[in-house]
Amino acid sequence: MRTRNTTLAVTGALVAAAATGCGGAVTTAAPAKADGAYTQIAALPKDQQVAKAQELAAKEGKTLSLYTSMTADIATPVAQAFEKKYGIHVSVFRGNSETVLQRAMQESQAGKAGADAVETNFLEMTALSGNGLLADFKGSALDKVESAGKFDHWTASRFNVFQPAWNTDLIKPGNEPQSWEDLAQPKYKGKLTLEVSDSDWFENVTKYWLGHGKSQAQVDTLWKAIAANAKVAKGHTTMMQFLSAGQQPIEAMNYTYITDRAAQKGAPVTHLPRSGVSKIPAFARPNGVGMLKNAKHPATAWLFYNWLLTDGQKELVKLGLTPSTKVPGDNSLRGLTLVPFDVKGLSKDDGSWDKKYDALLRGVASSGK
Amino acid sequence: MTLAPTSTTAQNNGPGTGPAPGTGTDGQGGRLLRLLRRPLSMQGLLVGGAVVVVGYLAIVPLGYLIHDTFLSADGHGISFDAFSRAYGGNSQSGEMMLNSLWFALGSAALALILGTALAYVQVRTDTPFKGLFFAASLVPLIVPGILYATSWIFLGDPESGLINSLIFKPLFGSSPVNIYSVWGMIWVQGLHLAPVAFLLMVAAFRAMDPSLEESAAMSGASRLTVLRRVTIPLLRPAMISAALLMFVQSLESFEVPGLLGLQNGIYVFTSRIYFVLRAYPVDYGAAGAYAIGLLVIAVLGVLLSSWLQRSSRNFQTVTGKAFRPRPVELGRARPLVGAGVILYFLLTVVLPVAVLVYASLLKYYAAPTSKTLSQMTLSNYRAVFDMPLAFTALKNSLIVGVGAATAVMILTAIVAWVVLRTKAPGRRLLDLLAFTPIVIPGLVLGLALAFVYLRMSLPIYGTLLILLISYCTRYLPYGMRYSSAAMAQMSPELEESAAVSGASWFQTFRRVLLPLMSGGILAGWVYILVVSFRELSSTILLYSPGKEVLSVLIWEQFENGQFTTLAALGVCMVLLLVVLVSIAYRLGARFGLQSDSAN
Repeated sequence: MRTRNTTLAVTGALVAAAATGCGGAVTTAAPAKADGAYTQIAALPKDQQVAKAQELAAKEGKTLSLYTSMTADIATPVAQAFEKKYGIHVSVFRGNSETVLQRAMQESQAGKAGADAVETNFLEMTALSGNGLLADFKGSALDKVESAGKFDHWTASRFNVFQPAWNTDLIKPGNEPQSWEDLAQPKYKGKLTLEVSDSDWFENVTKYWLGHGKSQAQVDTLWKAIAANAKVAKGHTTMMQFLSAGQQPIEAMNYTYITDRAAQKGAPVTHLPRSGVSKIPAFARPNGVGMLKNAKHPATAWLFYNWLLTDGQKELVKLGLTPSTKVPGDNSLRGLTLVPFDVKGLSKDDGSWDKKYDALLRGVASSGK
Repeated sequence: MTLAPTSTTAQNNGPGTGPAPGTGTDGQGGRLLRLLRRPLSMQGLLVGGAVVVVGYLAIVPLGYLIHDTFLSADGHGISFDAFSRAYGGNSQSGEMMLNSLWFALGSAALALILGTALAYVQVRTDTPFKGLFFAASLVPLIVPGILYATSWIFLGDPESGLINSLIFKPLFGSSPVNIYSVWGMIWVQGLHLAPVAFLLMVAAFRAMDPSLEESAAMSGASRLTVLRRVTIPLLRPAMISAALLMFVQSLESFEVPGLLGLQNGIYVFTSRIYFVLRAYPVDYGAAGAYAIGLLVIAVLGVLLSSWLQRSSRNFQTVTGKAFRPRPVELGRARPLVGAGVILYFLLTVVLPVAVLVYASLLKYYAAPTSKTLSQMTLSNYRAVFDMPLAFTALKNSLIVGVGAATAVMILTAIVAWVVLRTKAPGRRLLDLLAFTPIVIPGLVLGLALAFVYLRMSLPIYGTLLILLISYCTRYLPYGMRYSSAAMAQMSPELEESAAVSGASWFQTFRRVLLPLMSGGILAGWVYILVVSFRELSSTILLYSPGKEVLSVLIWEQFENGQFTTLAALGVCMVLLLVVLVSIAYRLGARFGLQSDSAN
C-alpha cells in the first residue's frame, strides 16, 4: 500500500510540475502607455512630431529593442548609425524572418513586451500586421515612400530583388538566360539550382506569365521543364557559395544583393549580361518596418521607424541594399527591369503556394489546393 | 507493488545501518522506497528531486507537442486531422520514411562499427599513434554540421570535388565518388556520428574486466571467437545505447539530408518537418504529427533496447574483484592497424579540416589553383577576432555548455540508478520519458520553453537560464544513455558491500558508484559540452541580445554568406574545444579516471 502511495506522490509531483509548466496563468501587460505615446505624437503637426518623439524617448530611457532579420553585417552598422544620431542604445535581436515572427507573436500572446520595433520580410510583416500587433505610423517620413511601399500598419524599408544568377566562368556571354522562360531550355539541363523555399518567387513568376498571355497549361509545362533541369538546394547564401566555387553554373533565382556582394569579393558571378542590362522581369520584394502596440519604448520605436525611412535609407544604400525611397547614389537597381511584386496575391496566401512549389520540386502532382 | 514484502516491511533503519539486501535488486528497490519515505533526508531529496526535474524537463515540451498535435482546429476536443495533413495527400511520406530509415540505419551502423573498432584498438591494444584517437574522436563532433557537410561537398562533388579531380581523375580517369547519394549521406553522417559511439565504447571497454576474454583465450578460443562470443556480448548495453542514440539522431537531423540529399531529390522525414515549420501559417499540428511518428520509432527502439538488456546481470563486468586491463599485443598486425588508424584520421579529421583551413584563407571558396593559392590571406581570422560579440558569445557558450553538461550528467546518473537499480514502479516510463526530447524538433522545443517561461514570473525568459534549460532538455537523452550504459556494467554487489559496511546511500553513490561510472560520465559530459556549442534550432528563438552564444554567431556568418569567415571560426572552435577537452581529461585522470598513457 505504501508503495502505491509513494508512486502516487511522485506522479503527483510530476503532474504538478507539468501543470505549472503548461497551463500557468497568463499575465497581461497593459499596453496603455504605448498607446498614449503614439497618440501624443500623432496629435501634433507633422513638423513637430520628431522633436516630441525625441523628448519622450529621453524619458523612456534611451534604449530601443529591435527584432530584425537583417544579417549582422547590416543590422550592426544600421544600429550604430541610429545610436550616433540620437544617442539611443539599440539592442538587436537577429533571427531569420520566421523566428522574428514567432518570437514577437509568442511574446505578444503572453502579454510580455519584448520588441519595440520590427524589421523583417514581407510575409512576416503581413502576418504581424494581420494579427494586430502593429501600431499605425503617420509621420512625415511616409511622404517619400511610394504607394507601392505602404501597407496596413507597416512600411517598406528596402527591397530584395529576384533575378537568376550565374557563374561567368561556366556560362559564357550570350549563353546566359534572357528571360524566366529561358530557364526551361534543354541546354540548361542539370545546370540549374532551385532553392527549396522560394515559393514567393514561384508565385510571382506564375502570376506574371498568366498575366502576359500564357495559359495555365503553358505555365505548367514551363515549370515542369524548369524543375526537370534543376537540382534543389537549401539556403540562398549556401547556393551562392557553391555558385562561386563553380559547383553549379546557374541559380534560377537569388537575391541580387547576395550576388552583388559575392561579385564584389571577386567571385565569378553576376546577374547581369555583358551589356549590363537585364530584360528579365525583376520582382522586388518589400521588407518593412513596424512598431509594436505594446512596445515598452513606443516613442523610441516611432523615432526609429521615422529614421529608417529617412536618414536610415542612406545607410542601407551604403551597405549595397535597395532602399524603399529615392536616394541619390543608389545603383542597386541599375540594369534591372523592375515589375510589380504581387503583394495582393501573397498577402492573402494561406500557404497554398508553398505546397504547390514543394510538390513541383518533388515531382508529384499538386494536391489541388 | 512489485516489491518483495520483506523489503517493505523492513524496519526503519537508522542511517548507520545498511539494509539487509533481500534478493539483489529487490533490496535496492526497498532502499529507494525508504529514501522516498524519508522525504527530508538528503538522499530522499536528491533522488526525488532528480526524478522530478528530469520528468519536468521532458514533460514540458512533450505536453506542448501533444497539445498542438491533437487539438482540433476549432480549439475544442481531440482530432487526428494533423496526421492526415502530415502523412496523407501527396506528401510521399512512405517513401520519405523509407529513405529516412535507410539513411539512419546505415549511418548508425557505420558509426557503430567505426566507433567500436576504434575504441577497441585504443583501449585494448598496443596500437601505435594512440594520440590521434583523441583528435579523431572529437574533431568531427566539434565542427558544426553545416561546415562538415560543406567540406565534404567540396571533397566529394562528382564533378569538381577534390577527391575526384585530384585523385581519381588523374589516376584512373573516372570520377566515381558522388557525395550526393544515399551512400554519400551515410558516409558523412556516419563519420560525423562515429565519435558518439567511440566515446561510449571507450568508457565501456575501460570498465570491462578482460579476464573473461583471457579465460576464453586460455581455453583455446581463437581471437575472433573471443571477440564474437565474449567481448561483443559483454558490451551489449553500451552498443545498444550508442546504436539507438545515433539512429534516432540521424532520423531527426536535417543538415546532411538538406545539403546532400536534396540535390538528387532524396527527401527524408525531416524535409517534411522543415517544410511545415518554415511555412506561414506554421502548421504546428503537422510538425507535431511528424515528431510523434519519430517518437513512436524511438519508443520502439528504447523498448527493444531494454528487452535486449533484460538479463542485466550478464553485462556486469565491474564487480568486487580488482582488474587491470592488459593491452592485447598486436604483433605482426601492428603496422597494419597503425596504417588503419592513420587512414581513419586522414578521412575524418585531416581532409575536412584541411578544406576548412584552406577555405578560411580565401576570400571566397574556389578550387585550388596557382591563382587562388597566391591570393591567400589571414583576413578571415582578423574578422573573427574583430567580431564585437565573439568573446561574449564564447563566454556564454562556455557557461551554458559546462552548466548543461554537468547538470545533465548528475541528474542522469541518479535517474539511471533509479531505472536500473530499483524496482520502483514507473521506472520504465521514466526511462522512456527521459528519451523523448531527442525527437522533439528544436524549434518546437524552443516554442514550448518560450511559452512556459514567458508566463512565469521567475526571471528565466530572456536570460541565459532559458538556454541552460533548453540544452538540459535537449541533451537529457544523451546523458541518460551514457549514464545507463555505465551503470549497467556495474554489479550491485559493490553497492551492497558499501551498504553492509555502513555507508549511507549518499556515501555509496558518491564514493563507489560515481567513481566507477566516471569513465562513462566524463564521456557524456564531453559529448554534451561539445555539441551544445553548436545547438542552434532552439537557441535562435530563445537567446536575447547581449546573451548571444557561439552558435548564433556561426549562424549569422552563414546567413551573411561569409563561408570563408565561418571556416575560420570553425578552425578556432576546433582548437579551443580540443584544448578544453584535454583539460577535462587531465582533471578526470586526477580524480581517478582510468586513463591510457596517450591521453
